[in-house]
Amino acid sequence: MEHTNTDMHDNQLDEPLAPKRTRLEEFWRLFKQNRLAIAGMVFFIVFFFLAIAGFTLTRGNTPVLDPALVRLQDKLRPPLTRPNLERLRPHEIPKLGIYIFGTDDLGRDVFARMLQGSWVSLTVGFVAVGISVLIGIFLGGIAGYYGSRPIRIGQLLVLAFLFTGVVLLINKLIWAGSVVLIGSAVCILISIQIKKAASAKSRSAAARLWNFKTISIDTVVMRFVDIMLCFPSFFLILTVVALLPASIYNIMIVIGLTTWMGATRFVRAEFLSLREQDFVAAARALGLSNFRIIFRHMIPNAVAPVLVSATIGIASAILTEAGLSFLGFGVPPPHATWGNILSDGKRFIFDAPWLTFVPGIAILIIVLSFNLFGEGLRDVLNPKLRERN
Amino acid sequence: MTTKRILILAPLVLTVILLQSYLWVPTYEEQAKGNPQRLHQYINASIGDAAILNPILSADSASSEITDKVFEGLIDRDEELRFRGRLAASWDISEEAFFYVNAATDVPGLDQVSPRAIIDLIQAARNQKARFSAELQKTLDNIVTVSLVSARTERVTEQIRDPSDDQKTQKIDITISAPARIKLYLKTVDQDLFVHLSQILGKNYFNSFDGAKFLVTTPAVGTDQLNALVQKFLPAVEHNPIIEFQLRPDVKFHDGHSVDAHDVKFTYDAIMHPRNLSPRVSSYEPVKEVLVIDPLTVRVIYKRLYSPAIGSWAMGILPEHLLNDAALKKEALALGKDLQSFSMRQSGFNRHPIGCGPFVFREWVSDQYIFLDRFDEYWEGPPHYEKYVFRVIPDLLTQEMEFYAGTIDSYGVQPHQVKRLKDDPNFQSFSGTSLGFSYIGYNVRRKPFGDRRVRQALSMAIDVNKIIEYVLYNQGERITGPFPKQTDFYNPSIEPVPYDPEGALKLLAEAGWNRNDQGWLEKNGQRLQFKLITNNGNDIRKAILAIAQDSWKQIGIDVRTDLVEWAVFIQERVNKLDFDALVLGWSMGIDPDLYQIWHSSQTGYNQLNFVGFANNEADDLIIKIRQEYNHAQLVEYCHRLHDIIANEQPYTFLFVSRWTAILDKRIVIKEFDDQANIAYRKITPTKTGNYTFHFNKWIKLAQAPEFAP
Amino acid sequence: MISFIGRSIVQKIITLFFVSIVSFLIIHLAPGEPSQVDPMNPKFTREMVERFREEFHLDKPLYRQYLYFYRDLFSGKTISWKDNQPAFKKIWERFLNSLPLFIVGTILTWTISFPVGIRSAIFRGGIYDRSATFFSYLLISIPGFFFAYILIMFVVNQFHVPVIGMETFGIGETSGFNRIMDRIWHLLLPSLLGATAGIAVLSRFVRSQMLEVEGQDYVRTAKAKGLAPDQVHYKHALRNALLPFVTMFGLILPGLIGGSVIIESIFAWPGMGRMAYEAILARDYPIILTLNFVSAVLVLIGTFISDLLYMVVDPRIRL
Repeated sequence: MEHTNTDMHDNQLDEPLAPKRTRLEEFWRLFKQNRLAIAGMVFFIVFFFLAIAGFTLTRGNTPVLDPALVRLQDKLRPPLTRPNLERLRPHEIPKLGIYIFGTDDLGRDVFARMLQGSWVSLTVGFVAVGISVLIGIFLGGIAGYYGSRPIRIGQLLVLAFLFTGVVLLINKLIWAGSVVLIGSAVCILISIQIKKAASAKSRSAAARLWNFKTISIDTVVMRFVDIMLCFPSFFLILTVVALLPASIYNIMIVIGLTTWMGATRFVRAEFLSLREQDFVAAARALGLSNFRIIFRHMIPNAVAPVLVSATIGIASAILTEAGLSFLGFGVPPPHATWGNILSDGKRFIFDAPWLTFVPGIAILIIVLSFNLFGEGLRDVLNPKLRERN
Repeated sequence: MTTKRILILAPLVLTVILLQSYLWVPTYEEQAKGNPQRLHQYINASIGDAAILNPILSADSASSEITDKVFEGLIDRDEELRFRGRLAASWDISEEAFFYVNAATDVPGLDQVSPRAIIDLIQAARNQKARFSAELQKTLDNIVTVSLVSARTERVTEQIRDPSDDQKTQKIDITISAPARIKLYLKTVDQDLFVHLSQILGKNYFNSFDGAKFLVTTPAVGTDQLNALVQKFLPAVEHNPIIEFQLRPDVKFHDGHSVDAHDVKFTYDAIMHPRNLSPRVSSYEPVKEVLVIDPLTVRVIYKRLYSPAIGSWAMGILPEHLLNDAALKKEALALGKDLQSFSMRQSGFNRHPIGCGPFVFREWVSDQYIFLDRFDEYWEGPPHYEKYVFRVIPDLLTQEMEFYAGTIDSYGVQPHQVKRLKDDPNFQSFSGTSLGFSYIGYNVRRKPFGDRRVRQALSMAIDVNKIIEYVLYNQGERITGPFPKQTDFYNPSIEPVPYDPEGALKLLAEAGWNRNDQGWLEKNGQRLQFKLITNNGNDIRKAILAIAQDSWKQIGIDVRTDLVEWAVFIQERVNKLDFDALVLGWSMGIDPDLYQIWHSSQTGYNQLNFVGFANNEADDLIIKIRQEYNHAQLVEYCHRLHDIIANEQPYTFLFVSRWTAILDKRIVIKEFDDQANIAYRKITPTKTGNYTFHFNKWIKLAQAPEFAP
Repeated sequence: MISFIGRSIVQKIITLFFVSIVSFLIIHLAPGEPSQVDPMNPKFTREMVERFREEFHLDKPLYRQYLYFYRDLFSGKTISWKDNQPAFKKIWERFLNSLPLFIVGTILTWTISFPVGIRSAIFRGGIYDRSATFFSYLLISIPGFFFAYILIMFVVNQFHVPVIGMETFGIGETSGFNRIMDRIWHLLLPSLLGATAGIAVLSRFVRSQMLEVEGQDYVRTAKAKGLAPDQVHYKHALRNALLPFVTMFGLILPGLIGGSVIIESIFAWPGMGRMAYEAILARDYPIILTLNFVSAVLVLIGTFISDLLYMVVDPRIRL
């Protein structure tokens, strides 16, 4: 009886208002108005399917479209030409019967390479941005949530011992390293002891020193961000890529590891403001664990703007990879990416312009659509910028 | 609203200013055809800037392009690759040879071995040589004088490496009390001198000499080190080849100072000076000493037989008066630098060089250009071009566009561009065999490359002709071995490995590799699988990588590929011998010295025989080649060595690329005939493929002349 | 205020110290050796390589190398391994070459973005706004070198004038004014290319700032009391929207030492980016580290200035 009452009560309150929409519907309504963003999204989805098609069609030992098959007889054929059947061996004849985008300087089918490249480029973009977003959420979350907590001398000691121990071990000083590592274990034990003693309310001077507060976690994280920001980012990438062996994984990791600073700052700012909001205070008052508060309540609220910047981040990761390819440090063969097809093709710009224009324009379209899509999302998600009409 | 107006006007004004500047820029036509000065300049584009304009310190090709023009060596190579005198008008090669009087052995026909007796024995043999074999007769004929070097006693201190710890060195005091020596002065170098002499002095005369008896070290050292010291101080026999250069008189440096023998000696000393860190030390390491006989005569004495040595005197000669200690000290004082640490490396000379070559250095703006003027007092007569310009344009595409526009005369043209430009009536094209080759090297320490049949099969599976045809646009030639193809050392009778995948499979089957049902080659359940690597930044190697992977896949070999950045490639992979197979190239000198790349003693970490090739006969030949001064003999050794290496196939020898060049047709050779009439001649590459050989006679004309076909 | 400055300087110095360690470690722990120690040159013996390593202190433990390097850096004695030139002199020369590009690029960015951004905000959602959005994203979406090549080919084929280099080659002999104009022409394309991303980002930012301010009550009030729209937009709204841009002046500073490798290579511009790139390839540690240090100092000074400016222009902020 009571229940129905409340329900009726609610209904009565709701009725005079606008028809109720879910968050998603509301979001979609706003998003729909931005035609550029819609176009971006359509391309985004098309690209996604292309990448999946590229992955399935070009993998394995005898792929449908072999991006690595060299047909020197058929090199530099313009787009939409038919293969020269007399001069090709049977296994070399393209399955499509036509070179949609022509062939490159080794006679490889550019269409197949573009398909494979769409998958590789997408992976590079997603993994790189994934890494940077994860680091960003983690560090930004710590800084924002635990920000004001200081690090105590004891903890510093443990860390210092651990660090020197590992460094010594790396330098093959096994004995010294182990001793120092044991030192860090001892420090942990001391901390536990002091904690117990503290609960017994007998604080010695040494214990107080042990628990002396130094800088806060927030300071450490943000200083670290500052340090990373001191390196010009393209140069940092270039240095690391030039120094590490080139592989598709290294490129992804390096781009990810050098672009997380923005996300960290973002998440930290979000967390700082979320922490003060009522629902977090309520959650805390209910005695929820920090872990639960962070993961169930704060991250879902902070993550939307991060995802927006991630969309744009993917676009810029694809561009960064292309830039690296230009300098010869991109994803190495046999993986084709749009970036390395483009930079390989530039030598032939007068002889075979399609090798430059096909990937160049493809990159342009995809990056543009990612950017427009991201921009549209940002407009919708940022209530301050919403039109008042 | 002022703000609004400013906001709109500012970008407009800016745009107008930027765009109107177009009106002031000279067009390409004005720069090239419309500029008469342009005919007197030769402009060469390069991707990178020079590093250091000092011939003894530079190691990059851009720098040597300039130093070759500004400096001049004693000799160089002519159109047929023979040595030709430049600063040296002539030279003469002779030899001093030494051996110890070995009292511990029996000499046939002598009761007692004494210095006098041995000299007499040799003299007697020379007088009645008819008794001996032809080769000994030749050797005896070659001896000019026989003399005695009396016994000596000396003390020296040596730093040697601690055998247990590579980083530490140890100081050793050595007392040497050497017996008397016989000195032979020979007309020409004879590496078999002692082999032949042992026919007179007894078979064991030379190898029974025990130097260790005459040498005492404190503290005592191990056997290996003792042997090394004996080799150094008391070798039983010693060859000291001598080169005596007669310098050309009246040659001047660009500052008017004349070039003499002291400059030659100074150049040698500067290379050897440890503080200068010259990258050329190793070419001069066999030199024992350089002596100034008179201002125009310089004598170089070598420690041992080393036939490639003479080539090192093509090195540009430095002006002593500008770089000796006094001059450097003055410079250091003027700059306020530390006198102790100031060396030739820091000197301003490296950015403003003065030599005695055909061009005078004028100006260098980093990463933009280097200007050279012609040297009017050049000993061979000044070049026709008034200026030589070196322009840095890092991008190949913009280089090409500048070339079309006529603002540069030459650039690093690529094969596919040559193909397009060859038939253009405005250009002439050249091509010739270059001095380097590309190969796929196999790490023979690793399975399955230890088996010669596998290596041969891998070579047979690659269609090199196809690579040459399509990747290089025919700008390459097959090569079968390690010698430069245009020299006599290359053995032309060896056939290239044929493209024969079936044959390859047969060979692999012999070696135990058979195809399984999926088509992969297998042996004992193990798939034939390896990784082929190369460095990044080289498109042709990248293409070879892709083609090799594809061709091997055709016969069922599972090959992965990897591109590695150059420094990492060399240091982590090549130097640490951590690779299965690699695509790489050697750029060779003309000398046939293969010691560092093919001798089995050079297979360790950081050494150049990284594929681990080892063959006794090859080792023997490599040593002989290093010591042979006679060309015909040298050629014979080289042909045999070539044969062995080709048969072993530690490399798949791919091709030697052809260098290509494109020039404006209006550039020709200008010469004077007997009546001092001007005659124009088409530029033709020399037999060895050097088209810039006559560069000093080049000139650009306003109209391309017609030549009789 | 004073305490803020003091604290901030101390913080920045500590940051700089860590930056110096991190950059030193990255470079030294990575594989590869200076190109002078070329291991593939058959003419180099082991002794030679060792002598080079000794000369460059590469045989010493890392912490000693670190101390040596920063001792030389602060006494101005750092020299490039490639050509023995003093590092600061080299960097200064390149800096002077990059400076005009930077200045023109920055001016282009700031003068173009503002009118575009403001107009987009005023006519929000209109055809102008949408096409401006589209074009600014188009600009940042083209791979830089692809765009550069297309521009160069277009200009060279259409107008037959040189675009690469800092000036037309061999123009040194002509009169002063011609030369200046020639230089400006050569600045046009590379600085435009360098500015594209900046224009796109900044104009978007101007737009969103303007939109935010336009929604504020005082702007509505101004509108409501019947002020001319221009008066409202350019006086009331723009002034307040400008606040965050003041702080951006500080952040321009690090751009001084940047310079894009790709644009500089394509346009044969002897700038800093190319020098740094070549230094990385040749493992010319002194140049890489000095550049890195200088750029870190500039970044830190830049953030410091922007904090200060923020305090000055916005009285609500008390650091």
